[in-house]
Amino acid sequence: MTRYDDEILMRRIDGELSAEAGERIDAEALNDPELAARLERMRALRAAAREAFAVQPDPRDQALARLIAGAEPVVSPWTRFARALGEAFAPRRAALWGGLAAATFIGGLMIGPLLDGRNDGFVLAPGGEIADAGLIRVLDRRLASEGADGDGRAVVLTFRDGDGRWCRTFRAGDAGVAGLACRENDAWSIRALAPSAAGSGEIRTAGADTPAAVLAAVDTSLAGDVLDGAAEAEARDAGWR
Amino acid sequence: MDDFQTGLVELLPRLRRFARVLRSRDADAQDLVQQTVERALAARSKFRVGTRLDSWTFTIMRRIAIDEGRSSLRWGRVVSPEDDATARVADAALADEGLRADALAVRDAIHALPDDQKHAVALVLVEGLSYAEAAEVLGVPAGTLTSRLVRGRQALIQTLSAQGVTG
Repeated sequence: MTRYDDEILMRRIDGELSAEAGERIDAEALNDPELAARLERMRALRAAAREAFAVQPDPRDQALARLIAGAEPVVSPWTRFARALGEAFAPRRAALWGGLAAATFIGGLMIGPLLDGRNDGFVLAPGGEIADAGLIRVLDRRLASEGADGDGRAVVLTFRDGDGRWCRTFRAGDAGVAGLACRENDAWSIRALAPSAAGSGEIRTAGADTPAAVLAAVDTSLAGDVLDGAAEAEARDAGWR
Repeated sequence: MDDFQTGLVELLPRLRRFARVLRSRDADAQDLVQQTVERALAARSKFRVGTRLDSWTFTIMRRIAIDEGRSSLRWGRVVSPEDDATARVADAALADEGLRADALAVRDAIHALPDDQKHAVALVLVEGLSYAEAAEVLGVPAGTLTSRLVRGRQALIQTLSAQGVTG
């Protein structure tokens, strides 16, 4: 007679043993009342647990179902942001954005209103500082030559602005936006942001055009040239000092 | 509604059941379901087609439950035993009509388990997830899940037989 430990019996009851191993235990239980009793206790406990927490209809589920039914079909942390941008870039507002793009707009100033004053915390902190950990990591570490990460986020251009600050343009393919961020007070601040044609939810690894508004912001900020791959790696390894 | 939304609606009764295992007070369980639904909707772009929606949503609920547990510790929020008992009696009257006394004892015994064991018991015994699925929801290796499950079960059998409940 084999002495089975609780774990084996538990696996038997939970259907986590092979058919043969389960049948072996059952066969032994036929001639071993103690083993049979232990198995029965476990089986009874499993049944009792399910009974104690039976699925019950609850009228409050109706309200939750309505909440779910009314939800937007696709909601990513960036989606509302991207939608707001898309709205802002709609042709009827072209004049407004034309002016802003030429002058470079500052994140906190323009993006705050776009988000209706509701900042989700993971996108932008007040003042336009990037608070999205994934994007910060991309801006801190990623090289243009590495292309996009698993979320479709990539860095495109790296350069210093007129005040010597490091700036990088990025694409966030998952969000369908692209932008320019510059290093200020040891954080990345948004200088420009625009919907990117590349981002339709699908992850793109191929190079996509940087939107005109972002390029305009680059032109305004750029002092000297954009970095080549080697200089970009060097600046990264120096911690963007 | 798309497949994700339909799936989530169909999952509501099970989400509520899981919440009722994690939270003994009905109002707390409702909060947990509500928050889980909201977070699942907000995070749906992270849901990969082909993965199980139940496991994915249970994972969200469990994280919220743990975070809440931590913050209530942090803020020193204390529910006096009296309040707790009163609320539970009220809940029981509402939700447990017709439920056998034995089942109530089983419910109390499961609620009294340490969280780690309670979560393992909830996923495997109540929800019927496989060990592999439950381990994934809990974010622990399979061996850890198994030992929590063994200890939780032993504690339950001990508690219930001491009370003369056969299950």
